[in-house]
Amino acid sequence: MDAIGAYLLRRLGVSLVVLIGISVLVFVLLHTISSSPGRAVLGVQASPASVAAFDHAHGYDRPLPLQYLSYLGDLLHGDLGYSYKLNQSVVALLGQNSGRSALLTGVALVLAVVVAIPLGILQAVKRNSAIDNGLTALAFTLYSIPVFFLALVLIEVFSLRLDLLPSQGSQATTVLGVLADPVSMILPVVTLTAVSVAAFSRYMRSAALDNLAQDYIRVARAKGLSERQVIGRHLLRNSCLPIITLVGLSVPALLAGNLIVETVFNYPGLGLLFFNSLQKEDYPVLMAYSLVVGALTVLGNLVADVALAGVDPRIRLR
Amino acid sequence: MRRAAFISAAVIAALLGSSACGGPSGQKAADTPQVSADGAGFGTLPTERGTPTEGGVVRIAQSPGAGPNYIFPITPAANGSVYNVYQLQDMLFRPLYGNAVGADPKIDAKESLAAEPTFSNGNKTVTIPLNDTFTWSDGKKVSADDVVFYVDLLKAAVKEDAANFGNYTPGYFPDSVASVKARDATTVEMTLTKAFNPQFFLQNQLSLISPLPSHAWNKASVDGPALDFTVPANAKAIYDFLAKQAGQLTTYATNPLWQVVDGPWRLTAYNANTSALTMKPNEAYTGPQKPHISELQQVAFTSESAQFSQLRSGQLEVGAVPFTSLAQAPALQRKGFDVYGYPSFGFAYMIFNFKNTTGHFDKIIAQPYVRQALAHLQDQPALIKGVFRTAAVSSYGPVPAVPKTDFTPADAAENPYPFDVAAAKKLLADHGWDVVPGGSTTCTSPGTGAGQCGAGIPAGTPLTWNMFYGNQPAVIEQQVTALISAAKQVGITISSSSKTFNYLIQNFSTVSAKVNNDKWAMVDFGGFSVSNYPTTNQIMNTEGSYNFGGYSDPKADELIQASVFGDDSQAVAKEASYLSKSVPAIFQPNVDQVFAWSNKLSGPPGSFASLTQYRLNPEYWYFTQ
Repeated sequence: MDAIGAYLLRRLGVSLVVLIGISVLVFVLLHTISSSPGRAVLGVQASPASVAAFDHAHGYDRPLPLQYLSYLGDLLHGDLGYSYKLNQSVVALLGQNSGRSALLTGVALVLAVVVAIPLGILQAVKRNSAIDNGLTALAFTLYSIPVFFLALVLIEVFSLRLDLLPSQGSQATTVLGVLADPVSMILPVVTLTAVSVAAFSRYMRSAALDNLAQDYIRVARAKGLSERQVIGRHLLRNSCLPIITLVGLSVPALLAGNLIVETVFNYPGLGLLFFNSLQKEDYPVLMAYSLVVGALTVLGNLVADVALAGVDPRIRLR
Repeated sequence: MRRAAFISAAVIAALLGSSACGGPSGQKAADTPQVSADGAGFGTLPTERGTPTEGGVVRIAQSPGAGPNYIFPITPAANGSVYNVYQLQDMLFRPLYGNAVGADPKIDAKESLAAEPTFSNGNKTVTIPLNDTFTWSDGKKVSADDVVFYVDLLKAAVKEDAANFGNYTPGYFPDSVASVKARDATTVEMTLTKAFNPQFFLQNQLSLISPLPSHAWNKASVDGPALDFTVPANAKAIYDFLAKQAGQLTTYATNPLWQVVDGPWRLTAYNANTSALTMKPNEAYTGPQKPHISELQQVAFTSESAQFSQLRSGQLEVGAVPFTSLAQAPALQRKGFDVYGYPSFGFAYMIFNFKNTTGHFDKIIAQPYVRQALAHLQDQPALIKGVFRTAAVSSYGPVPAVPKTDFTPADAAENPYPFDVAAAKKLLADHGWDVVPGGSTTCTSPGTGAGQCGAGIPAGTPLTWNMFYGNQPAVIEQQVTALISAAKQVGITISSSSKTFNYLIQNFSTVSAKVNNDKWAMVDFGGFSVSNYPTTNQIMNTEGSYNFGGYSDPKADELIQASVFGDDSQAVAKEASYLSKSVPAIFQPNVDQVFAWSNKLSGPPGSFASLTQYRLNPEYWYFTQ
């Protein structure tokens, strides 16, 4: 087994332990908050008899360790539980929502990277120029605007006043259906992209400025390389390292969804599913979502580490 | 709990709204409407107008995050919501006793599958005569067997698990039915375990029944044989089968079971992910009003702001106006919408914990004069103007003055304890308290005699306690803050803390969370919607399952007993009148549920007013020429 293989195996082992730790923590916290899951699920209108019957039928009246082991056993069999509130299995709920969330956030993430990298480089190269100052002001403005407010402004302007774009995202239930309705996704994607570009471009500018001061850039210029070659071959690659880390950390958001954008643009996804489940204390959904986010966070970090090693030969995986 | 009982405050919370603004609120103060002529509603209910046309599609917004997701009319507690019952099940499967089309909660014979029942044998035998005009969509008559079928399945459901029926309370329906039989094709006879007040049993229990198509559903598998559902084992097998089918959301619009309907609508599309659905007219409907429109689309939304944006952009014909966007009502009207709001039937209240011994609170709050003083500290007119932006109605007891029922007390609109800080101060001072406005009022005259603080209250006891309240909607906090501020004026110190709705109902109940009895003195989580027959049975009686604060008053118990088991048809009005004066809690204003609909859409005014009660009657709507 080569070094990368051993490294990945080791990281996966650690990840498994982390995931079990997350599941224990979430499980205990959720059950500590609520004295009676049955009451939370059935609501104020349910009689004590119904609540007691529910708690018993679903094992909520058993000792917590037994409940956890039972949950873990089901998990190993691919059973994430059943949402009593939504009258569907958790697997089905995750399946219905993850694709749509991943598409929205994924497209926004790719666009953000594609726009932020050249923007950051441009700002670094044109440091303290009118362009740099203007873009800096724009980035700060976008970064400081709450996402929901930006979304509402875009809806007000482009949908309600100019009547150019729909005020809600695609209502198609499949990813293909959403792709077939691109116009309705413009405002949600632009909202997410704008905020991400603001953040990414600042990181990119900062990294590029650092690299521009490095000796290897001077050497490249001294060798007679054109400015385009210096930027393309040397500056760009080295300045992208922080972006790779940022993208890696953004992986959980790909599937975990973006609550605010999903809410404002009527685009149901995983983020909204989690929020609603939190309101209803829908335990099976909350547990599954926490595990998914945990797994994606671990995965995102792993991907970022491997990608960094690929881009920067100075980094060695051990 | 459907018609019989209660809808959680979450519903009220959802309709009050907690979303961000639905767009710029640039309306001038002068534009802010809109109290109706009778002072009870928001805006004016338009009269029927125009020449009806047949056809057209109506898109109506579902309440955000609360779309229907349970089609089988024996609804488990986990799925018990007005959205499942009123906005899906009742539109497909007519209830035995349907409500009048409008805001007033009362049974209407025209909308019912049966005429009013007769009670005999000391109110222990109920005879229900079915109308023979209703048929299922496959042509079969709705029969007495279909009522028996429902009751038998329901009995099997609650025997299997009490949580299988959201309206279930032990001892009541269906436990209260000792036997049920079809005397003939159009007559059902029930023998009860004990005598019930006929009005209670009709309005609160029989109204739970939705006859089910026994000829089509009496099987335990898709292709199984017809079973004798009067055999309990068969009834259980049938119930299990149907409940399992109801768990297959993706088949709601295609499963042949759910296509056998006796309501004006049939389901033609259902999105299991969002709960968005489409209904088309049941062409075989034999009820009072066949639909004019050709399609009803219930559109799902993730938030009130998203819904309101769609409404404003003309993508909806009918939608709610979020509480935070009421100022935009005039703008909506200018864009061609009618706007109207009315309170739903129910009450909101701040609950006292009569079992909290911390700081002798149980002894303090047991004193009627203390509760009366606190009631005097709530300024409902100011709250309605300042907090509710005029979209609310004063309410002083468990039965509000509006919407009006046959059981509304004559004094429902009279505030027995109007806002009066001086009166509150006097009540305390007259009972042995040294009132220190802005400071700490203490008991200086302990004892049980006239002019003394009352039993169990030692000298020096301060009027200091805590209060928990729901973190949404914001109006709850605003009302709590107003009360705390007024209380301080008579030296009462109330510390407050917000919690989630679920946290409140799980932790602050003297019934189900006794261990916390000494940790809370007051709680405000919202309130209840109540049935057509608005008894506070289970809420205000000593042994009530939802008597969160442990209120106990022999006189109230006696009146509630009469409402449920007595013979007086107006018993519940007497119960409500007494409770509004005895202050078991601080009753709060009832908020208007405000809706907007395209003015190209018309119909009987009541068919739009029913929106405010969560009910849908789109079969009465039509587009005007």
